[in-house]
Amino acid sequence: MSDAPILRTAGLRARVTEEEMEILKGVDLAIRPGEIHAIMGPNGSGKSTLAKVLAGHPGYEVTGGSAFFDGQDLLELETDERARAGVFMAFQYPVAIPGVSIANFLRTALQARLEDGEELDLFDFQDILLERMELLEMSPSFAERAVNDGFSGGEKKRNEILQMAVLEPSLAIMDETDSGLDIDALKVVARGVNTLQEERPAMAVLLITHYQRLLNYIEPDFVHVIVDGRIVLSGGPEVALSLEEGGYHEHRKLQSTVSAA
Amino acid sequence: MSRTSTLQAPAAGPLEGVTATINAAAVERLAAGEPDWLAQRRWRAWEAYERTPLPTTRLEEWRYTDLSRTLDLDALRPAAPGPRGLSPDAWPAELRQAMREDWDAAGHIVEIDGRVVHTDLLPELAAQGVVLASLTDAVHTHEDLLREHLAVEAIPPDQGKFSALNAALWTDGAVLFVPRNVTLPLPVRITRWVSDPAAAYFTRTLVVGEGGSTLSVVEECLSPSFGEQTFCLSATEVLADDNSATHYASLQRMGLGVFHMALYRSLVGRDARTDSLHVTLGASTARLDLNSELGAPGAHSHILGLYFGNEDQHFDHCTSQNHAAPHATSDLLYKGALDDASGSVFRGIIRVAPGAQRTDAYQTNRNLLLSEEASAHALPNLEIEADDVRCSHGATVGQLEEEALFYLQSRGLSRRRAERLVVRGFLQDVLRRRPPGGVTEKVTRAIEEKLRG
Ligand SMILES: Nc1ncnc2c1ncn2[C@@H]1O[C@H](COP(=O)(O)OP(=O)(O)OP(=O)(O)O)[C@@H](O)[C@H]1O
Ligand SMILES: [Mg+2]
Repeated sequence: MSDAPILRTAGLRARVTEEEMEILKGVDLAIRPGEIHAIMGPNGSGKSTLAKVLAGHPGYEVTGGSAFFDGQDLLELETDERARAGVFMAFQYPVAIPGVSIANFLRTALQARLEDGEELDLFDFQDILLERMELLEMSPSFAERAVNDGFSGGEKKRNEILQMAVLEPSLAIMDETDSGLDIDALKVVARGVNTLQEERPAMAVLLITHYQRLLNYIEPDFVHVIVDGRIVLSGGPEVALSLEEGGYHEHRKLQSTVSAA
Repeated sequence: MSRTSTLQAPAAGPLEGVTATINAAAVERLAAGEPDWLAQRRWRAWEAYERTPLPTTRLEEWRYTDLSRTLDLDALRPAAPGPRGLSPDAWPAELRQAMREDWDAAGHIVEIDGRVVHTDLLPELAAQGVVLASLTDAVHTHEDLLREHLAVEAIPPDQGKFSALNAALWTDGAVLFVPRNVTLPLPVRITRWVSDPAAAYFTRTLVVGEGGSTLSVVEECLSPSFGEQTFCLSATEVLADDNSATHYASLQRMGLGVFHMALYRSLVGRDARTDSLHVTLGASTARLDLNSELGAPGAHSHILGLYFGNEDQHFDHCTSQNHAAPHATSDLLYKGALDDASGSVFRGIIRVAPGAQRTDAYQTNRNLLLSEEASAHALPNLEIEADDVRCSHGATVGQLEEEALFYLQSRGLSRRRAERLVVRGFLQDVLRRRPPGGVTEKVTRAIEEKLRG
């Protein structure tokens, strides 16, 4: 593993665009290529906000701090530029795009990565898509369904990972991909992520989750606990295990003493 | 036959819409040499035209299309008719292109500047009694067929000012007749091209499917853009007899500067099924009056509509599903996207007559606004006089969802590509309800072209 982080945030602060209250109150993260980081934290602590700010959601504005991705100032890039540079976010709540098939969507997304005038090879694309669907135990006919339209919770999450597998990001942010998955689907998704990382060992992963369950299958190198927009604790996999027993109670207390100070 | 021999002089007073081009002399010229019954039909229609005032915005059906501002009948010139038998090499490039894209057909009618210039039909179908002909030919070769059906059953001249105008002044058009229990293996394609700026065009289509027949018709019309207003008024009559199956599609791709008005009416017989798709992409102003008449038990009408406007196009769709008999079903879905300063009107009504019990009728209109200046009026309506029915109607006007655009952008699509993909999906939703192939792909291509701008 190389030393230069693929993602580094320092004192990252953000709020909902034009709202007063900050949601992220200074987040420091350094993720190196190939590392898996898990972020845990109570509901409403800012996990999804962090993911969306990194992906460039226009509904949030950064009020302070910095974020660098692969040596570039991430905050200077448009959402689509970030994606093309290698950032991928699997949504906690994926959005339906009626009338647009998964195959068509992914073809368009891959085409968007090519230079003007360059054409995606459709046979190659078909091969990649089928291979990735097989990895995720999806039936090929699924590719013809409209993106997330009428999907079950589990199908939506699997579809997120399919997109990730086809688009091959260098930083994969997974926002509660495990929630809504039954144990079999969870294993399939975890195997997918692990296979991708074996293929491309430099891929870094930021996993947002509430449950140790996922971390049994995708082993994190680091675990961070976020409370009220700040990382209050970072450590190894043992942090997740201790949370599983004690909950966030201790860390909330820690947080209130920090804020009081 | 001249008017004085059949009718009295009309009441004195200003006659709305009678102009240097649209007048009794024009009827006279067309009626000359026609069989008496037909000439009489024209004169009766002309009489109705003169009697009927131009619709104003005080009428519900015309509330959002002000003809006094959008249609200048006085400025129109008579169309110089296209030459008969013009060889395909001499057709305009756009027309040849449109024809090439789907040459596979049971037969073709090509109309240039209000005159049919080409007709062909598979010989084996002709041998089975199928008729595909220009109206002007059919007047001589299939007089009884026209006499029985043309402008008397589906769109007689008493259905408003423009039904009368078309019935009085049509110059040509197409007739398709499919005999009892005959199936067309491929669609019949009727393609219309107009090229004369500031001209007025009046043409018709008559489709007759006898009992147990199966047929498919695609009507496409196209033109260049014009600097002066050009007026096209067409009337399509579909007579679907008992137990027949009729597939119909129209694709309107006129250039800017055109005022396109289309009247479409289908009479659906017992256990007959009509499927139609109405695509509005072109013209500066497009008005479609679409009516399906479910006149016998078991009749079924499935109607799909699709429009995509940009610049300052104005589309006005007026639909009705008339249930006159019990146990009939109808289902209408109309979707449209509107960009720039374009606007649309959808006014739809489901009418269920007393006694039309067990009616199933649905109507949905969905609009997607792509710009701040675009507008859509959606006015669905029900008029139900029977008590044992299932009817529903719904309409929405929405904008592009920011969350959906963010989702697509987060996969690397530029905002513009993301928008286009959402629009494509929104409209594609209509097409996927049709069997694939043929016109569906052509419509998809036409939408793509428009999306690329
Ligand atoms: N668009 C928004 N408008 C208003 N408030 C918002 C918005 N986005 C986030 N918030 C608020 O910011 C806080 C953090 O939300 P966020 O979704 O990041 O939490 P989370 O840690 O992902 O929670 P969960 O575990 O429930 O997914 C919450 O109080 C939330 O209500
Ligand atoms: Mg969340």
